[in-house]
Amino acid sequence: MLREKLGDFSSIVCFKAAITGMEEALGEKATAIALTAAGRSRGKNLVKDLGLSGTSLDWDVIADKMAFALGENGTKLLIIESIVEADDVIKVSTSETLSSAGEPQGSSRKCTYTLGAVWGALEEITGKRLKGAHTESVVRGGNNDVFEFESLI
Amino acid sequence: MPINAAKIESILQNFVSGTADIQGATLVSPDGLSLATVLPSTMDDEKVSAMSAAMLSLGERIGSELSRGSIDRIYVEGDQGYGVLTNCGEDAVLLVLANQAAKQGLLMLEIKRLTEELKLVLM
Repeated sequence: MLREKLGDFSSIVCFKAAITGMEEALGEKATAIALTAAGRSRGKNLVKDLGLSGTSLDWDVIADKMAFALGENGTKLLIIESIVEADDVIKVSTSETLSSAGEPQGSSRKCTYTLGAVWGALEEITGKRLKGAHTESVVRGGNNDVFEFESLI
Repeated sequence: MPINAAKIESILQNFVSGTADIQGATLVSPDGLSLATVLPSTMDDEKVSAMSAAMLSLGERIGSELSRGSIDRIYVEGDQGYGVLTNCGEDAVLLVLANQAAKQGLLMLEIKRLTEELKLVLM
């Protein structure tokens, strides 16, 4: 444990307050860029730690390993439901993302850090530079937060 | 239409190698992804890309909040040289690094020419 009494976890409320504070000071766009970059770095390091860099394992096996590391039994960033690749697009369905937690229906908030974490992980796994987007959101009528990735260039 | 990364990289390479006192240049997307880069090997292009886009975005915020209008360029001057961030159309941000010997007027002129050339490829 990183802290003797409080343990390893902190409230989402505090994390989101940090994000909204950054948005007020720096603007939404600069904050989103910084958080996405931070997430990508985290995702890459996570995959390295899991020994999955450049792996040729099936996506469902990778999804299980990432879900274990980031989900209920891991850091609780999000739940990875599935990873599917079709027509050169990698589609990752997630739920209970940190970014969408507590957001009212209709909120314009997009996943930044969480998107970045999945993004960086996939780049480290595939060895490719990817372009990512948050294409469906639970706060805008979707059943899941869905991230889609394709080769950058 | 896909971005012609090879063409952009070639333009940047020619600019860096053919212009005195220029140390590197990189073109990044507005959300901080590297499109093409010619940077010193000691620099991490992913970090540079995220920094460049965030900085231009912050500049735009300053322009708006402090009534400075739209931002074309952000200029960083250090004791070891210059970093100039320039809007390169809607789809890209250009960062140019120059050493302290660079003449500022010439640097701006070269960047203006480079930006115009890159915009044609990005269209």
